[in-house]
Amino acid sequence: MTTSTEPKGGGVVEASPPGNASTVRAGRRRRKTNVLAYLLAGPILLYEAVFVLYPIVQGVRLSMTDASLGSSDSTFVGARNYDRLFHDPDFYGDLRNTLTYALAVVVIAVGVGLGTALLVNRRFRGRGVVRGLLMAPWAFPEIATVLIFIWIMNPTFGVINVIDNVVPGLDTSGGWLTSSPLSMVSVVLISTWKTFPFYSIVILASLQAVPEDLNEAARVDGANVWRRFRHVTLPSIRPTLILLSLLAFIFAFKQFSLIWLTTGGGPGRDTETLVVAIYNNAFKFYDYSYGATIGVASLVVTLLVTVAIMAVQRRYQEDSDR
Amino acid sequence: MSAIPSTTRRPGRTRAIGRYVLIVAVCLVVLFPIYWMLITAIQTPASTLRYPPHPWPTDINLNGFRKVFSDLPIARWLGNSTFLALVATAITTVLAIIGAYTLAALRWRGRALFGLLLMTTQMMPEAIVVIPIYQLYSKTHLIDNLIALSFLHAAFVLPIGVWILRSAMAGIPREISEAALIDGCGHLAVLRRIMVPLTSPAIVAVAVVAFFASWGEYLFATTMITTSERYPASVGLATLIGQLDTPVDELLAGGLIYAIAPVVLFVLIQRYIISGLTAGGVKG
Repeated sequence: MTTSTEPKGGGVVEASPPGNASTVRAGRRRRKTNVLAYLLAGPILLYEAVFVLYPIVQGVRLSMTDASLGSSDSTFVGARNYDRLFHDPDFYGDLRNTLTYALAVVVIAVGVGLGTALLVNRRFRGRGVVRGLLMAPWAFPEIATVLIFIWIMNPTFGVINVIDNVVPGLDTSGGWLTSSPLSMVSVVLISTWKTFPFYSIVILASLQAVPEDLNEAARVDGANVWRRFRHVTLPSIRPTLILLSLLAFIFAFKQFSLIWLTTGGGPGRDTETLVVAIYNNAFKFYDYSYGATIGVASLVVTLLVTVAIMAVQRRYQEDSDR
Repeated sequence: MSAIPSTTRRPGRTRAIGRYVLIVAVCLVVLFPIYWMLITAIQTPASTLRYPPHPWPTDINLNGFRKVFSDLPIARWLGNSTFLALVATAITTVLAIIGAYTLAALRWRGRALFGLLLMTTQMMPEAIVVIPIYQLYSKTHLIDNLIALSFLHAAFVLPIGVWILRSAMAGIPREISEAALIDGCGHLAVLRRIMVPLTSPAIVAVAVVAFFASWGEYLFATTMITTSERYPASVGLATLIGQLDTPVDELLAGGLIYAIAPVVLFVLIQRYIISGLTAGGVKG
């Protein structure tokens, strides 16, 4: 985020002697720019206010009522829903599932993204094709992804069950989506497949910015592949990796359809994340106000991570400005 | 290069072969699910409903692709998805161009705050707002309205669209637009004649990202659209998951047909998407 270095307001400019025509003109131009910017940004702000900000505020209000399906006139209940939330073991379970799922997806998907980016970073014949093929899951819609994987993980006919025969001692009994803790592994696997290509492209772009001569110099000095990665490549892409990991956390935190349509949050509540819990409470149990309360908890997590992202961004921006 | 003794070349060659093997292996793992979907869709259920499964097709039968159109209203669902995604793309692209210009080219009070607000909305989980928006749409009779849904979709991709375009516009030398402004061009002319043509790859990327987002979105779509006739394909196909009466070849054929539009779009303009996205970077 860049901060404005301009003086606040045009007051200083107007106070300058009228003889100085160019500053007056500059001041007028600045004011015109301000008006134009408000005219252009205004509709966008209004748009986001209607569809994002207003519903968030409304959600906070809802969390302090007893609204549910059928009760058109809900009454204010204060912090009662929050009292329930903090004493609800399911909420802590959902929170734990969310963190497990999101952290696993961050580590594995960003890791695979980094690995594949390193693999296609160097020039080789057919690189363009490989890069395009590895991007395929990103272009694949989520619902199509769900259809593929519920078939691959089908308890009776799913091809993934072949692993039981290959890996000695492993017995999944086909419970990829229906038994615990395997179902969590499965949703992480599915999410990784769908999301790693995006992380791969972004990492690849920052790898291409690593100066080649630096790498070459390290090679001449006898540094092996690992040391070159550790001391040349990694330091240059570290800002990207950190930001990307935080962003990946947000994306995983937001994930709904890949979980809900494969396991439904089950078995029991073993893959129920906060986002899935919001939906289940609102549209399965028709408890709108409690769903909204979990929504507020999710909002808090989101805002904390967003602040972290901005802090990291600012730090690296300052580093690169220096 | 010729000065290097041949003895040091050989490990380089084995390494290159090793890299190729690794690359092929990774591609196989990544593409296997799509391969498996394809070969299931082109066989009769009788050939695929068996264990252990056969690694390649033993009979080719395109009945699934035919029956998915005759048994299910998939043509209608795809039509709905197309309409929905095109409207959302149009809204997103136009507003993203405007928003990016105000952030990249204009110096104004409140600019930093505007950027901050957009960034925060980009992070918001859709699930946080789904209940209030459902209530809002119910009250205003916008349930089952595809245009209302497309406005909602656009609201959630607009911030990332603005960020992608903003970095692309920030990459254009200020001298160009300043020269035009001094020559008497208005800001709108600069936007139309300079910024838009020079950032067209990024604009294409924004349009594609918006199309993908709306075409694939499920949570809002399944909440706001309740009649089968209005379903976008994402919701229509998802309803088949729970019911076990759709034959697997039909189900996966439907999924493949639904995936074709974004995949083809991606292949056609892959170059623009990648350069546009990386211009946006993660720094946003």
